[in-house]
Amino acid sequence: MKQLPVGLYQPGSSVIHRLDGSAKLLCLFILLAGVVHTASLPGYGIWAAFTVCLIRLAHIPPGTAFGSAARLKWFFGVILLMNLCFYGPEHPWMRWWIFCPSYEGLIQGIHVVARVFLLLVLSNVLMVSTAPLAMTDAMERLLSPLRLIGVPTDLAAMILSVAVQFIPTFFEETDNIRKAQTARGARFDSPKLWEKAKAVLPLLVPVFLAAFQRADELSLAMEARGYRTDRRVWKKKYPPYQAADWLALLLCAALAAAFIII
Amino acid sequence: MKKITAVKKSIITAVCIALCVVLPQAFHAIPNAGAVYSPMHIPVLLCGLICGGPFGLLCGLAGPLFASLFTGMPPAAKLPPMMIECAVYGCVTGLLARTVHTKSTYADLYISLVGGMLAGRIAAGLAKALIFSAGAYSMAAWAGGYFVTALPGIVIQLALLPSIVFALMKAGLIPARYPKK
Repeated sequence: MKQLPVGLYQPGSSVIHRLDGSAKLLCLFILLAGVVHTASLPGYGIWAAFTVCLIRLAHIPPGTAFGSAARLKWFFGVILLMNLCFYGPEHPWMRWWIFCPSYEGLIQGIHVVARVFLLLVLSNVLMVSTAPLAMTDAMERLLSPLRLIGVPTDLAAMILSVAVQFIPTFFEETDNIRKAQTARGARFDSPKLWEKAKAVLPLLVPVFLAAFQRADELSLAMEARGYRTDRRVWKKKYPPYQAADWLALLLCAALAAAFIII
Repeated sequence: MKKITAVKKSIITAVCIALCVVLPQAFHAIPNAGAVYSPMHIPVLLCGLICGGPFGLLCGLAGPLFASLFTGMPPAAKLPPMMIECAVYGCVTGLLARTVHTKSTYADLYISLVGGMLAGRIAAGLAKALIFSAGAYSMAAWAGGYFVTALPGIVIQLALLPSIVFALMKAGLIPARYPKK
């Protein structure tokens, strides 16, 4: 709860940093499609090697790149165990009470863990290597075809970028409120499920009040500076993709297509 | 308090999208909390109630997507049906909140909420039955997953959301639905 699972932007001048934000976002979606369609363990090995290459190219320290996934090690362990013990009851190694560990369960567990792990690390590479403003522009650019059906894409991109900026703040705020409620006797660490659930509920109203207070302040500040949602003064011209952007897109598409077709 | 402005609606939508990422982490300590308490639905429904259909739709689409990208939950395989479900929640709740006027704030809120929650569950069930799990999805699985397992979440949402809306009105952060003359 205390730390945001995905890293914040770290300025740099690597090849990955220099790529266009929208090209990087597109690459991420293409890679995720490929990861989801991977059905074999060697396939995940190839993805892992590719991800390590990306991290090296982006000059991201391994602690930053894998930190978000490492923080979820207990979650991965639980998922692996649950799949191992409950997934394949047809050919179990042994049966004991409700548990029937099997080879199929183990493989399924590895699949799920590998997919979530890769998804986290790839998202992390994007977030660490792309400035928030470049991310907003990237979202706006990718959403721009929706203008044809009257969707205000600049407004949508502004909303999404403000949301991204708010996430770390709310993690911190929720953690503070959680500590305050613990001091008042809320039992978040109780082994009893009902007590845990009872402790979480009083957390929600203060979290929402604090969040809406921030929304109120920010909207007032924006309106005071003349921001209006109905004003379309100019149409943004996006710079064309460079050779490196096209190369990255082609590489990602070829890799993902290989996994989807095979 | 005057009518809520479009800029404020936009920022509230952004806040609700961010809460879609943060709130499920608060429930993380409780096993299977995602399916049982559905914490991500709370900001989406609230966004629909306060900001209206289009903003609720955006929140419902972006909330699960951001949560998946930032925290890995929901997993990529569960993401598309969840995005459809949440988008319909936000959109229908918002549209009902705009059209239903019974002169009682509680009645308006509950009609909008129940309508939105039903529509979202029907849409998600249809999406799973026709697209994502075509041929392998039954009525029993739908009822079990969306009504029986999620019953604690439904109760929490119905109890909590009107309270949050009233708390926000009392704090002057959103305008009263029927201002006293």
